[in-house]
Amino acid sequence: MKSMTRTRQRDEMTPEQKTLRRKEFFINNSLYFFLIAAIVGIVIYDPRFLSTASIVNILSLSAANLPLALGIAGAIILSGTDLSAGRAVGLIACVSASLLQMAGYPNKMFPSLGVLPLPVVLLIALAIGGLIGLVNGFCVAKFRLHPFIVTLATQLILFGILLMYLMNGNNNGQSLSGLDPSYTQWITGSFLKIGGTAIPNYVFYSIAITAVIWFVWNKTVFGKNMFAVGSNEEAARVSGVNVTATIIGVFVLAGVLYGVTGFIEAARIGSNSAATGLNYELDAIAACVIGGVSFVGGIGKIRGVILGVVLLRIIFVGLTFLSIDANLQYVIKGLIILLACAIDMRKYLKKR
Amino acid sequence: MKRKILIFLMIFCLTIPLLSACGMGRGSADVHVFYYTYSDAYVSTVRSALDKKLHQAGISYQDYDSNNSQTTQTEQVQTAITKGAKLLLVNVVTTGSDDAAMGIVNLAKNAGIPVIFFNREVSDAVVKSYEKCMFVGTDATEAGKLQGDMIGDYLLKNYEKTDLNKDGVISYLLFMGEKGNSEAIYRTRYSVENANAKLQQGGKPPLKFYDPSNGDGYIADREGKWSAQAANEAMTTALAGYSTANGNMIELIICNNDNMAEGAITALQGAGFNNGTGTTIPVFGVDAIDAAKELIRTGKMAGTVTQDGNAMADCLLRGVQNAQNGEALTANMGDYTVDEGVAKVRIHYGVYTGE
Repeated sequence: MKSMTRTRQRDEMTPEQKTLRRKEFFINNSLYFFLIAAIVGIVIYDPRFLSTASIVNILSLSAANLPLALGIAGAIILSGTDLSAGRAVGLIACVSASLLQMAGYPNKMFPSLGVLPLPVVLLIALAIGGLIGLVNGFCVAKFRLHPFIVTLATQLILFGILLMYLMNGNNNGQSLSGLDPSYTQWITGSFLKIGGTAIPNYVFYSIAITAVIWFVWNKTVFGKNMFAVGSNEEAARVSGVNVTATIIGVFVLAGVLYGVTGFIEAARIGSNSAATGLNYELDAIAACVIGGVSFVGGIGKIRGVILGVVLLRIIFVGLTFLSIDANLQYVIKGLIILLACAIDMRKYLKKR
Repeated sequence: MKRKILIFLMIFCLTIPLLSACGMGRGSADVHVFYYTYSDAYVSTVRSALDKKLHQAGISYQDYDSNNSQTTQTEQVQTAITKGAKLLLVNVVTTGSDDAAMGIVNLAKNAGIPVIFFNREVSDAVVKSYEKCMFVGTDATEAGKLQGDMIGDYLLKNYEKTDLNKDGVISYLLFMGEKGNSEAIYRTRYSVENANAKLQQGGKPPLKFYDPSNGDGYIADREGKWSAQAANEAMTTALAGYSTANGNMIELIICNNDNMAEGAITALQGAGFNNGTGTTIPVFGVDAIDAAKELIRTGKMAGTVTQDGNAMADCLLRGVQNAQNGEALTANMGDYTVDEGVAKVRIHYGVYTGE
C-alpha cells in the first residue's frame, strides 16, 4: 500500500516522502553500509584487519576469484547459471600444471616434453576453456536446455576427463606439482611492494581482465545483446538479435575466463589434484548474486560483481579475524549470503 | 517492512562478534591449527584432544576446517599470518607432492614463525628446509607390524578353531584399500609378514591367500576410498565361491582399515557367520573407530590397531610449548621417538582387542 501511494505522488514531495526517499537510498545501498559496518566491527575487534598485509591478502584472494565470477555473471545475466565452472578450472589447472612442470622433476607427467613456453600453455588453457564454453553454450542455445541441466552434465563429464587425465604418463593419479619457476614467478611473483608487502602479479592480470570484460559488457554490440537476451529473449529475437550466437558467445567468454582462472590457480596453489576447483562455482555464484547480478536475467554490473567478490572475501577473512568456530562459520556464511541477496532482491521486486 | 529489515541487519552485525565470544573468546589466537577436514573421524579425535590441552595450558588457539581443499588451506594460512599467528599447526591436505607443504613452509618462513605438520606426512626435504619446522605423525610401517603380530598371536591361540577345513593351513583374504598409498602398501606387506613370522615361531605353516589365481595377495578398492561398501561387495562375491560346504571357506580376513572390516563383516553376516554365535571368522582392522570397538565388544570382530589421537595432541602441545620457550621443537619429547637426522616425531600405535 505505502509504495503505491508513493509512486503516484512522486512529483510533489512532502517531508514524509523525503524521509521515505532517504530510507529508500539507505536500502538500495545497504550492501555498502553492510560492508562498512562489517569492516568497522571487525577492526574494533582486531585492528590488524586493516593492516597493509591483511588488505593485500584480501585483495589477492579476491583477485584470484574475480575472473571466474565475471564468467559466471554472464551466464546468470542470461538468467542461467554455470555449475561446470569449478571442474573446468580444475581440469585447466591440471593441464596447465602438467605442461609446465620442471624439466627433470621425478614425477613429471610428460618427461620428454621439457617445459613449454608460457604463452603457448596459456593459449591451450584459454582454448580448453573456450571449448568447454562452446559445448555448454551450444547445448543451451540449440537444444533449448536449461543451463543448470547442461552444466550439471558437463560438470560430471569434466570431472571424469580430469580423473583420466591425472592417470596420464607416470603421474598415476597423484597431484601435479614441481612447477617450473618461470611459471610460478610469472603468476605469484611481484614487481610492486606496498609497505613491505608484495602484491602478487596475478592481481594485476585480474584487474586487466576485469577492464576488458567491462568494455565487452558496456561498449560492444555483443554486450548489449547479452543484456537484451537476458531480460527478454523473445523481444531480443524480434528486434533482430542473433540469440543463438549471443548465448554461445556468453558461454565461450565464460569458458575463456575459466581458462584464465585455471592457469592462474595452478601456479597460485602449486599443487593440483582432482579436488582442484571443486565447488568454486558456488562461491562465484554467491558473489554475483550478492553483487546484484540477478537470476531474473538481464540485470548486473561489473561493479556489482567486484563488490560481491570482495564482500564475500571480507566476510570469509573477517570470520577468521573474529576467531569464530569453524563449524559455525559455515552457518554464518550461509546466513549472510541469504540476507545480502534478500536485501538486494527487494530493489528488483519493486521494479517489476 | 524496511525498518524491520534494517533492524534485522543491525542485530545481525552485532551478533557476529557475540558469536565469536561464545566460540573461542580470544581476540588474537597465537596458535592456528589447520585440519585437512573436519569429516575425518580420527583427525576429529586429535582435534578434540588438542583443543582441550591447549585450553588447559592457557594457550590461545584457532581451528580451521580446510574441507579437503589445498586451496582453502593455503588461503587460510595466508590469512592467519596476516592476523598475527605466532605458530602454525598444519594437517596438510596434499600429501603426494611437496609443493603445497613447501608453499606453507615459505609463508611461515617469511613471517618468521614455526610450523608443525602433523598426521599426514610431509617429506624430509620439506622439514629440513626450515629450522623451525617439525612433523608429528606415525611410522607408516608400524600399524601393519602390530596388526601382523596381533594376528599371529591370535592364530597360535586359536589355530584349531580357525582352521575350519582342518587342512592345517589358514587361508586369508586381505582388503588393501587404496592402491599406491604408502600406508596401504606397508600395512598389506607387514601384516602378513609379521603374522607369518609368529606362525613360524609357533611351528605352523605360513598363511595362504584364499584365491590361488590372484597373484597380488590382496583385493584393492578400485576407487581407493577404503570404503565399507567396496569391501562388502568384494566379500559377497568371494563368499559365492568359497564356503564351508565347499570346504574352502576363507578362514581369516585382514583389512587395512576398520571401515572395510565393517563392510566385510556385514557380508559375512549375510552368509551366516559372525553373528556373535556360531562360527566367527576372525576379522582384523586398523584405526579403532567406535563402530569397530563395538563389533569387537560383541565378539563379531577379532581386533584392530589404535592410532592414539590423545598422544598426537600431547606431542603437538609439547612442540607448541617448546616454541614458546624458545627451545628446539623436538626437545622434551619424552617417550616419543624422534627420527634420526630430521625433525620428525613418531606416535606409537597400540593394539586393541577389547581386553
